[in-house]
Amino acid sequence: MNPFFALLLQDTSGSRLDAIKQGIQHPDLSKFLVIGALLFIIGVAGVLSRRNIIVIFMSIELILNAANLNFIAFSRYLRDIGSIDAVAGQVFTVFIIVVAAAEAAIGLGIVIALYRNRETIWVDEIDLLKW
Amino acid sequence: MSLSGWEAVFFWVFSVAALLAGLLTIMARNAVHSALFLISSLVSVAALFILLGAEFIAGVQILVYVGGVMVLFLFVIMLVNVGAEERGRERIFNRSAQVTASVIFGLLLAFGLVYALNQGYDGMVKRELREHDAKDVEELRAQIQEQQADEQAKLQSSATGTFRITKDTERVGGSLYRYASLPFEIASVLLLVAIIGSVMLARTTKQEASADDLGPEVLEKQNPESRIQNSEGKAESRIQEPESRMEENL
Repeated sequence: MNPFFALLLQDTSGSRLDAIKQGIQHPDLSKFLVIGALLFIIGVAGVLSRRNIIVIFMSIELILNAANLNFIAFSRYLRDIGSIDAVAGQVFTVFIIVVAAAEAAIGLGIVIALYRNRETIWVDEIDLLKW
Repeated sequence: MSLSGWEAVFFWVFSVAALLAGLLTIMARNAVHSALFLISSLVSVAALFILLGAEFIAGVQILVYVGGVMVLFLFVIMLVNVGAEERGRERIFNRSAQVTASVIFGLLLAFGLVYALNQGYDGMVKRELREHDAKDVEELRAQIQEQQADEQAKLQSSATGTFRITKDTERVGGSLYRYASLPFEIASVLLLVAIIGSVMLARTTKQEASADDLGPEVLEKQNPESRIQNSEGKAESRIQEPESRMEENL
């Protein structure tokens, strides 16, 4: 059985199946963190495996978005346990979105300049600095 | 914290949608399709933000990412036209060795992260139980729901009376302008730098020359290897390229 479904095994009264059912019916912080981690991994795989530089930039957006999801999930968690600075996560997320927008603007400017000079957007053909 | 009822249903729907759209983003052959799948992934994550009670961030996500950044992506995809990729003549992935390496790396990362979450979450739940003097998760959940109901009752109800207006957005705005006012200003400078930088990067040789009050021919004389953006220059560079490639290989 998948270990991450059995995260809520704190209640020893029910069986393992009950715990899994409980985890599906009441998704908590850990489920959000797992979704964020999977989105991050999808982004990393995209960065490493694609040839199109624009799709690589999109994968980077996916990675940043996974980080945002983690911040918001922890913000909600802190709010529910009554922490004072629970909104810090949301404020951080605003700044991450700002940085992502700036990064996309600069990156796409570089892509346009690169396409003008080399007439390619395949990253394996842009090898001027390769030993 | 835990969601229940319809919230849980929506959580599973939107998280599966976000993951599927993310996978399709990196698998799609056409870059425009990639962009559209990324948009649906971002919208699904915005829905998850709403489930988590961050309505303001969800709005910002849709306005900035989907409305701004993705439109910019689509413009650039239209500018650099890649017909060969769509017609299936070009490979969309790197060499198979690199793809294998990235898949192995991704699986290792997935295993490590899920393992770490597993280990860390138990400790966190224990700490939470200790702080609330609760014996098990059920008791803790009941306590937290009681607290939330108390807070809800204090809030002002909306015009239609169907739900209550939360103070979350107010709190986010307050801390953005009070505690985070310096980073806020720095972010505005960052955006200014990004605007100027992208304009400088994306201009053509001709525009560069006219900004320096030079004719394009002067620029060409100074640096004979620079390619002027006219049809002749493009044709020339295409002819020269195979030779230079051969030289590199030698």
